[in-house]
Amino acid sequence: MVTETKIHPLVEEYFRIDRMPHLACPGCGIGMVMKYTLMAIDELGIDPQKFTWVTGVGCSSRLPYAVWKGDCIDATHGRPLAMATGIKLARPELTVMVYTGDGDCLSIGGNHFIHACRRNVPITVVMFNNQIYGMTGGQVAPTTPLGYQTQTSPYGNIEEPFDGAKLAAAAGASYACRWTAFQPKRIATSLKKGLTSNGFSYIEVFSPCPTQFGRYALKLGDPVKLAMWTQQNTVDLKKAETMTSEELRSKIIVGEYIDVEKPSLVDRYAELFEKAKRS
Amino acid sequence: MAKIYINEDYCKGCNLCIHFCPKNVLEPSTRLSKRGFPMPVVAHIENCNACGVCELFCPDFAIVVEKEEAAKK
Amino acid sequence: MMTAADVVKEGVYFVEGDEACAIGAIAAGCRFCSYYPITPVSEIAEAMAIMLPKLDGVAIQMEDEIGSMHAANGAIVAGLKAMTCTSGPGCSVHMDGYGWAIKNEIPVVIIDVQRAGPSNGVATLVGQGDFYQARYGPHGGNSEIIAIAPWNGQETFELIIEAFNLAQIYRCPVMFMMDEVIGHTREKLVVPPMKEIEAGLVDRIRDPGVPPEEYKSFGHLDTPEAISVPFPAAGDGYGLCLSPYTHNEMGYPSTTLKDQDRMARRLIQKVRANRDKLVKFESAFLDDATSVVVSYGCSARSSLTAVKNLRADGMKIGFFRLITLWPFMDKQIYELAEQADIIYVVENNLDGQLSREVQRASSGKAEVIHIGKAGVEMHTPYEVMDAIKQHLSGSSKG
Repeated sequence: MVTETKIHPLVEEYFRIDRMPHLACPGCGIGMVMKYTLMAIDELGIDPQKFTWVTGVGCSSRLPYAVWKGDCIDATHGRPLAMATGIKLARPELTVMVYTGDGDCLSIGGNHFIHACRRNVPITVVMFNNQIYGMTGGQVAPTTPLGYQTQTSPYGNIEEPFDGAKLAAAAGASYACRWTAFQPKRIATSLKKGLTSNGFSYIEVFSPCPTQFGRYALKLGDPVKLAMWTQQNTVDLKKAETMTSEELRSKIIVGEYIDVEKPSLVDRYAELFEKAKRS
Repeated sequence: MAKIYINEDYCKGCNLCIHFCPKNVLEPSTRLSKRGFPMPVVAHIENCNACGVCELFCPDFAIVVEKEEAAKK
Repeated sequence: MMTAADVVKEGVYFVEGDEACAIGAIAAGCRFCSYYPITPVSEIAEAMAIMLPKLDGVAIQMEDEIGSMHAANGAIVAGLKAMTCTSGPGCSVHMDGYGWAIKNEIPVVIIDVQRAGPSNGVATLVGQGDFYQARYGPHGGNSEIIAIAPWNGQETFELIIEAFNLAQIYRCPVMFMMDEVIGHTREKLVVPPMKEIEAGLVDRIRDPGVPPEEYKSFGHLDTPEAISVPFPAAGDGYGLCLSPYTHNEMGYPSTTLKDQDRMARRLIQKVRANRDKLVKFESAFLDDATSVVVSYGCSARSSLTAVKNLRADGMKIGFFRLITLWPFMDKQIYELAEQADIIYVVENNLDGQLSREVQRASSGKAEVIHIGKAGVEMHTPYEVMDAIKQHLSGSSKG
């Protein structure tokens, strides 16, 4: 018996229907977060025509590209933050959102990342951390925990991973947090904070990747099993502060790392323009 | 009471909807969609209170949940 | 509120070529400059950092040249005229964003003030080794770009305005090939009234002339030779789709041969098919010339003096200066080769880059002699003259 069907209202409202279904694997976290993003846009009443979705390279970047019905600007690998800086400074009234991945943001894009945080460019960045390079077939990433087996760490990863949210906070971001894809309320709150804030908002989402991370690192290729693993291994930031690094090795620490208000780069340029005219 | 729509063109058979449903409304099946994915079925709609968790977690926008009043309109 | 005329004031100045470039860029309407400090180009960035904020323009020192290139791309996507400036080593770093700009038909102006190379070479001294990189730097082929080269400060000012215009008309990156001699030499600069300059500026067409639901980011894919193609900005409501991937007319990623083919044709033909309209050069003493000296930039300055001296000694030698480096002026070089027996190519590199193109375009109609120098110093007129005389004394055509 075939169930009755309906196109999801968010798809009808905000996506290019001819580009659906999107290209994510079964059980991938990116689609969930895209939905939360559309819900936030909808709730805040943001004009899609003034919402520029900037992406890099990787699964998280490919998903919204040319699916979002507004402007889709897909930069090369690691560069969406540099491009978003140019877009936002050139036309500050645009809402600029960046979707990036752990490799895109913290490996090849690392330099642009720390400087975008430092400059407090007023954009909202969602970093999909699946702890692996998904699109290219499962290579080790700068967020892959120590010891994990991947395509390019066949004997186990020998490098310590980054904590992207800690890095964002240390580098100067106004807002930095991490959640898992199975925390829609938290993500929704953070997205709305980011989209209405006047600063660099970094929202890292542990995004389940059954096909690469699940299969290679955890030997858990089933979306439901990976979802259960994720929820079982989520640790609150406060609790994590009392645990050893060994205990935390495969845990996903969630929470808000920083939440402050300070002048954005756009504010500083506005002041600069006035100063330059007076001098 | 509620109505659940499943879009077989979008669904990829990940079964997260089945897993997260608190009321066991959905069940897996072996019936494959045109795209070759095993489709969930609405097995116990009478248990559904339209909480929307299945729709919320679906990565593929493949589920729409409507409360019965809205469905009647 | 300040206007361009308040910042670019009519008058006569004595400035470095770098500064002339910045003044010209402001006059051209550039309101975004992203850069990374590098000798001998930092003076352009510094001048932009002083002038741009007065006009609510953004001068931003990015974390590296890749960031500079992408920030400039982003600013153009959002509607501004933008540029980035660097030297050879920075151009190598640019390539990632340069390729993106080529593929997405971004009217960005990229200034390369060439210095001695390869790699870091000598930061403060001249070279002309980036000729091929300007055109062939990004991987993948399947494209043409425009590159132009001034030879003094006044021409730098005039040509940078031209560069911005060409970028808008051809919806194409324009490489502005200066060199350290031009960049760092102080010369007279005459700046005309801003009103006159503004009358000659070309702006990009933001309105595609169709409603948003009918707009296609690359709707012109099947008219590869079209110029002055509209380019709405992000936020104008047309749903731009710009990516690094091979695309169809909507800008959606594609893996078909059909889309790869027509995308490549578009990126090549919009420049190549319009080559004759596009190319600029300067020549002198060609009427009776049996040999010609071909060069560009600072090398052309020494070459002109050398030609004049040799002519005074009775030699029938002509002078030809490329202003447009790319697309390469095959036709004009072929005509030179048909007329002259020998073409001397004076360029500040030892591997021979311009000379290879001249050799190719000559199709064997003339002997092509590379008069090169490794960099660090430009050719003196006497070095050019000596090289020519040495060649003639050793040659059977002497």
